[in-house]
Amino acid sequence: MAETEQARTLRTEHMFLNLGPQHPGTHGVLRVVLELDGEVVVNAVPHIGYLHRGYEKIGEDRTFHQYIPYTDRLDYLAPLSNNTAYVMAVEKLLDIEVPERTKYIRVICCELARISAHLLGMGIMALDLGAFTVFLWGFREREKLYDIFEKLTGTRLTTSYMRVGGVVMDLYDGFGEDVRTFLNDFPSAVDEMEALLTRNRIWVDRCKGVGVISGEDAVQYGLTGPNLRASGVEHDLRKANPYLVYDRFDFDVPVGTNGDSLDRYLVRMEEMRQSARVVEQALNQLPAGPVNADMPKIVLPTKGKVLTSMEELIHQFKLMSQGFEPPVGEVYSAIENPKGELGFYIVSDGEPKAYRMRIRSPSMINLQAFPHMVRGGMLADAIAIIGSMDLVMGEVDK
Amino acid sequence: MKIQYKELSFWEKLYLPAIVKGLSITLKHLFMWPKFTMQYPEEKPEPGPRFRGFPKLVKDKEGHPKCVACGLCAAVCPPHAITLQAEETEELSWERTPVSFEIDMGRCILCGMCEEACPVEAIVLSDTYELVINDTRKWVFEIDKLLEDWEGKETELFLKNRK
Repeated sequence: MAETEQARTLRTEHMFLNLGPQHPGTHGVLRVVLELDGEVVVNAVPHIGYLHRGYEKIGEDRTFHQYIPYTDRLDYLAPLSNNTAYVMAVEKLLDIEVPERTKYIRVICCELARISAHLLGMGIMALDLGAFTVFLWGFREREKLYDIFEKLTGTRLTTSYMRVGGVVMDLYDGFGEDVRTFLNDFPSAVDEMEALLTRNRIWVDRCKGVGVISGEDAVQYGLTGPNLRASGVEHDLRKANPYLVYDRFDFDVPVGTNGDSLDRYLVRMEEMRQSARVVEQALNQLPAGPVNADMPKIVLPTKGKVLTSMEELIHQFKLMSQGFEPPVGEVYSAIENPKGELGFYIVSDGEPKAYRMRIRSPSMINLQAFPHMVRGGMLADAIAIIGSMDLVMGEVDK
Repeated sequence: MKIQYKELSFWEKLYLPAIVKGLSITLKHLFMWPKFTMQYPEEKPEPGPRFRGFPKLVKDKEGHPKCVACGLCAAVCPPHAITLQAEETEELSWERTPVSFEIDMGRCILCGMCEEACPVEAIVLSDTYELVINDTRKWVFEIDKLLEDWEGKETELFLKNRK
């Protein structure tokens, strides 16, 4: 920039601007203090904690069974996935093997949750950048999924569907048809969303080269999930550490090149298609059988047995009033959530409640890279970056 | 799998074609049938058999609450929304009955763990979903309110429909 004599001598100072906590582009109650030089962002400091509910501490005060509904409220766009991550951690602590059918049900639930989370995430990103239609169409597709979730679990959002050692109820009759009907319409719906955005000049101008983070930096910051993969690092827990039955499915992990907002968007769009492939295969392979592990000291008996058998009634009372007692030890278990690696680190001292419950929530850690991405960009880029990072404040603040 | 993204061509770089393309897609949707939107207050969604609406207590054939006041629901309730007090009784074929049973709907998260825990199927999450209460003092549901049948539905029948 050619500086005139006047510009050199004129005393200027940076402006501090509060972005949020009520700004519609901040996905909840994120507050970012932006230091601006004109319209250029010099620095950004995220202030978090507006949605802090103390979930890690609550985990020390509730039994392992009681804690399940709390996990719904972490990443509230994919509660089924959170439930799975949590119960898998407890199962690892207890060293339980769940039945085959349950593993498939969990895979289907996780992938449907991923589709619904990305539909909303990318819809909101488009909404932030001024494309209202995509948001509504994403919402429409997600609504179809939520109807399925409601039939399956009883509620649309706070599912609490998984239980330690199994699931609450088996799939309902006609679940397969419902999901297949959704999957039939789904590719054309994503194509339509992409047709509006992917090669639209305005969209590309807002996203391309915005919020670039190199693969190396992304790893240094501890990014996970689509944000990491957009930077060209091929790391997906479903492939790197195949939990449940992910090693039996044929699917690709989309990886970006530049690590900019456009890549993060493209990676998520492709991921939805791959998730649909996984669900399709899982439905075809779905085995019959029980859904709960045969462990009466840990898994709740069925209602019919409680009403008729004394022994089961005793188990019911023991499990519901006290909970089960896991062995002393500590365990870390993580799964690939829509936002990244969601891990639960549980320390147990042998009591029915955790001694320490630590949640490694992906959005919290992804947010830490935000100042790095936004520095040097324009003010309007900050909104595009937050949108493309797909943060969920329920998970950031825990 | 690396995502391939071709640079925009000259034609795509012009704003006008993109706008026309977008409008043509959205215009198509204008004539699509059926419309997806539900006109909510006039049209109401029908909840499925597993739906978890607000909790209700179940009566037996004589109209007594089936609850035996064992306290399991209160023990398992994650947000501690249930409070109950037991009393001895000689009128019934069992010995305990609740003298008071309160659910604080300000705390209840409709997770369904009380229903799951109940050993006598005395509490059930109904299919009522309109939970607007204007007065905070009315958030605590007493036993009489919990025992009411809702919209003419028998709680007993509802429980049987659930798998």
